[in-house]
Amino acid sequence: MANSLFEEKLNSHEFLVTTEVGPPKGADVSEMVHHVDLFKDKVDAINVTDHQSSVMRFPSLGGCLLVKELGGEPVLQITCRDRNRLAIQADLLLAYSRDIRNVLCLTGDSIDVGDHTEAKPVFDLDSVQLLRMGRDMESGKDMGGNELKGVPQFCLGASVHPEADFVEPQLVKFEKKVAAGAQFFQTQGIFDLESLRRFMQYASQFNVKILAGIIVLASARMARYMNDNVPGIIVPEATIDELAGVGKGKGLEKGIEIAARLIRTIREENLCHGVHIMAVGNERIVPDILEVA
Amino acid sequence: MDSYQTSRVKEASYGRSLIPPCQVACPLHMEIGEYVDLVAQGKVLEALQVIRDGNPFPSICAYVCTHPCEDACRRSQVDKPIAIRALKRFAVEFGGDRMIQLEAETKQSEKIAVVGSGPAGLACAYYLRKLGYQVTIFEAYSELGGMLRVGIPQYRLPREVVDTEVQRLINMGVEIKVNTRVISLDLLFDMGYKAVFITVGAHQSLRMGIEGEESPGVIDGATFLREVNLGLKPSLGERVAIVGGGNVAMDAARAAVRLGASKVSILYRRSREEMPASPDEIEQALDEGVETIFLVAPTKMRRENGRLSVTCVRMELGEPDTGGRRRPVPIEESEFNMEFDSLVTAIGQAPQISDDFHLRLGRGSTIQVDPITLTTNRGGVFAGGDAVTGPATVTQALASGRQAAFRIDDYLRHRYPLVDKEVEETLSGELLPKTIEMIRKIERLEPPLLSPEARMKEFNAVELIYNWESAVDEARRCLRCGMGAEILFQDKCATCLTCLRVCPYNVPYLDDGGTIQIPPDQCQACGICVAECPAKAIVLRKPYDRRHIDEELEHALKSAAESKSKPLIVGFCCQYGLFGTGALASLWREGKAGIWIVPVLCVAKLEEGHVFRAFEMGAEGVFIAGCGEQCSRENTAFWVLQRVEKVRRILLQIGLEPERLQTFNLRATGGDTARALDDFTEQIGGLCLASVIKQEVES
Amino acid sequence: MIVAEQKPVEEVRRIITPYERVLLLGCGTCMTVCGAGGEHEVSFLHSALRVAEARSSDGVHNFLEYTVKRQCDFEFLDLLVDKVREADAILSLGCGIGVQVVAERFPDIPVLPGVNTSFMGMAKEWGVWDERCAACGDCRLAETAGICPITRCTKGILNGPCAGAKNGKCEANKDMDCAWILIYKRLEKLQQLEKMRRYYPARNFRVIPRPRRIVKKADVDLGDDNG
Repeated sequence: MANSLFEEKLNSHEFLVTTEVGPPKGADVSEMVHHVDLFKDKVDAINVTDHQSSVMRFPSLGGCLLVKELGGEPVLQITCRDRNRLAIQADLLLAYSRDIRNVLCLTGDSIDVGDHTEAKPVFDLDSVQLLRMGRDMESGKDMGGNELKGVPQFCLGASVHPEADFVEPQLVKFEKKVAAGAQFFQTQGIFDLESLRRFMQYASQFNVKILAGIIVLASARMARYMNDNVPGIIVPEATIDELAGVGKGKGLEKGIEIAARLIRTIREENLCHGVHIMAVGNERIVPDILEVA
Repeated sequence: MDSYQTSRVKEASYGRSLIPPCQVACPLHMEIGEYVDLVAQGKVLEALQVIRDGNPFPSICAYVCTHPCEDACRRSQVDKPIAIRALKRFAVEFGGDRMIQLEAETKQSEKIAVVGSGPAGLACAYYLRKLGYQVTIFEAYSELGGMLRVGIPQYRLPREVVDTEVQRLINMGVEIKVNTRVISLDLLFDMGYKAVFITVGAHQSLRMGIEGEESPGVIDGATFLREVNLGLKPSLGERVAIVGGGNVAMDAARAAVRLGASKVSILYRRSREEMPASPDEIEQALDEGVETIFLVAPTKMRRENGRLSVTCVRMELGEPDTGGRRRPVPIEESEFNMEFDSLVTAIGQAPQISDDFHLRLGRGSTIQVDPITLTTNRGGVFAGGDAVTGPATVTQALASGRQAAFRIDDYLRHRYPLVDKEVEETLSGELLPKTIEMIRKIERLEPPLLSPEARMKEFNAVELIYNWESAVDEARRCLRCGMGAEILFQDKCATCLTCLRVCPYNVPYLDDGGTIQIPPDQCQACGICVAECPAKAIVLRKPYDRRHIDEELEHALKSAAESKSKPLIVGFCCQYGLFGTGALASLWREGKAGIWIVPVLCVAKLEEGHVFRAFEMGAEGVFIAGCGEQCSRENTAFWVLQRVEKVRRILLQIGLEPERLQTFNLRATGGDTARALDDFTEQIGGLCLASVIKQEVES
Repeated sequence: MIVAEQKPVEEVRRIITPYERVLLLGCGTCMTVCGAGGEHEVSFLHSALRVAEARSSDGVHNFLEYTVKRQCDFEFLDLLVDKVREADAILSLGCGIGVQVVAERFPDIPVLPGVNTSFMGMAKEWGVWDERCAACGDCRLAETAGICPITRCTKGILNGPCAGAKNGKCEANKDMDCAWILIYKRLEKLQQLEKMRRYYPARNFRVIPRPRRIVKKADVDLGDDNG
């Protein structure tokens, strides 16, 4: 029996589409609510990011509660950067109690790339240990070996980086995540389908679902900025050139076109099990992509 | 300043410079490294002072010394040895040696007789006179000088040079008796002399011992040169043969050229490698057209038809003789004839000692003496110079004369002759390849010579003098052997490896025990490690070097305070560069008001503390001027700039503009240093004005 | 080696403001090696402070300089007794350990820090220092081919790498190599990649809980020795 709607969908053979919202920097969640409303019925799950790029924001757990209230299917993102094992276990208990069962287990970006550079980075756990911890809780014990009163169940996922410039260590990590209990993976941004094909050749031996991460770029400048400053994202030159080639103001249109093209190809060729659309800052256009793709 | 540290330095401060090979090789043991470094600094007067401390007649040596120092010079392991003799000549001429007056007073009652006025006799008289004795020099000829006068031709040693020295001795109060041949030593003692120094030289030419040696047109070398030097112009005809391979043979050959012979041939029984003459002499003789015929010896001569017919036999080299040189062996049936107008024999000389002296003689008719005291078999009779050693060099004779003077003094004062028991540490000699690799190769600057054509006509001095720049540049090639760095305080050393990492020459190394060693025979004395050592455990061996910048700085600051000129700018300038490189020379000459120059011996030795001290004592601006690409040591600019950055960072924090500290000429050459300095002065003036205004506004 | 940096001179001046006679105390071991507080740096700081004094109107300090072999052992500090009598404060250029030991030895006089002790590390070349050890108390260099994931990985994770490395460099500092890529490559060379494929559980962050002490002295009973 599946632990969540999303898990059911994972177990089916449908082509999955997920996306993400970034919570606000502040207590005013109206924009986020608006975006969730826009696409909650068009996607299979919505991730709520957790201080993405180490920028302090309204928490993922809070965002997931909102998604649930609005009738969407949330994916809780937990990073190891800000909380120790006690806090994370507590958050997971809370999440489960509110029917938030999908959890994306991440290590988290380093403090340096964010806006609180003097904060103490926690990293009590890494993503693999976090996955293991989730599975251990499902068997009724916390990390200290103590019995849990009320045992949670989760649908656990993790990230993977098929387009890393030195990919072998990433694959070692991927296998460890699978062994630790990850059921689904949302990849870092895919731009080159060849590398996705190669990765899927290797990954298909494991009984996990892979959703290709699709980043919607708005301009060549944005692409370059991400290359220099955002961990995990490597935009190839060809794509940057394509974006640079259009006139002013048309960048986002082009970005949508590129994204849609990628999604279409992936779906038509059944390259992997779905896509995870990241429209960083431009969440409103997600429905448009879905139209085009 | 801290008492603990200065007291530590005092305790450990013994001048532990090591004696460099040049000084060891010099018969007079002169402080060659010192005076070469002084020439490099442009301090000619001081250089001459050091030279005169070690040598009674620097001007003579400057012309004719055979420079064993150059043969021992370790620079030859890198490229070519330093031209030490030419640098000495430069110091003598530019330091005004000629002008120096000497005086002496009589402090002792004894009289000493010096028999013979060659270099040994003159030196002995000089030192005895300085010690306060009454000295009489007896000379058989009409003029003083011995071989200096009758042996060495004037194009190598002008007569004025010898005359000047003789006159100085006379001014000192030495009594001269020329045209007086001493025939009995007993007579001298009867005359009241308490000690006698026999130094009659070796003027008797050896005979070849072949048929026809008495023929007209055959003359022995010593006699020939004497006649030339006395101004007689012996006529030799067109074709002249010189038999022999030493310096006398070269002198005779080159004199013959100057007398008009059109073909001068040297006949030598061994090959060129075995020739005892100095290579310079051989080179110059060849340039002047002298022919050399090797592996040949005359067997008989005959005068016929107005010419000398000389029969020679070809030689080949056989087994080495007792002296180590390969013995020439005649090749059978290889006789051939050559024709000459005259022939000069120059196969060696021996002393001629009268039997009436009753002195014990040894091999080659030389006088036997005790090597330490120079005493002969007769009490009160000492001997030295060529009369004891056989033909040797001028410098060796000077050393002998000096030694005799002090031994005579011991004898007369009834002192036990103090032999130098202290064995001063000397340098071992071989530079390692990893060090040689890092030393920049610079061509040796030879002193200019008269052209061969000009030389062949006259007896004018062949060798000219360096100009300032050449002398300084040549002197800067010196490796400063033994004057480098040492870890004086091993207990302070934390083995941080900084010295090992910053040395441009790969000198410091970790020994098997994990202790850092700085081998003194490899150290190039650049001073970088001394300034960079975080534990201040390394010092320069010469105490003078250690204090130098501090003393110069305090002196400059004191003078600046007294003169009250504003704004005060302190410039640390490399002393070597002040004279060597044109850029800094103009800086020095156009000294501006308010700029106080602190000369340093290479900016690599300048530490941050020195710069701070200048600012502390009121300097508004400080600049550092180095030799840039012409610095004789590697990497110095890099380290100076590192220290400059470190100081600038602090200046910023304490409210001083970092621009107040500038460097000049440290990077590539090019650019106008004088103008840059002008701009800097203006800039400092502006900054001062700004801060004054600011203060007034605030108050 | 313990590596530190000298405090900015303006901060030092602020710290010593209330004191007239200040003893600048250097250390002849780690602080000498890393060029932050040895005799040379004491002299440097002294000269800098004198310039600052000369140029400001409120300079009232007298400085003494002294460098001991080590500040972290009481015996070396016994040599200081006379000097300390002549001072109103000690500015120690020793590492944080040294400052505290000096303060403990001389509790009646303020002891102030002159350097910022930063890490335990090595010199890559002259003038370049890299942290190597975090003193975690649970060394696992056997598993990571001699490359520490705690000091050299910005996140200190044990199941690396994260996805942030670009061109082999860490996402937090583009001059520093990604430790896990280094670990992968070296394990590969040693043919020990299975060490990286292993699961490493969460670290014990409190191997020796603070305040930390290690006792090497054994408690022995000196009573009857009856076997």
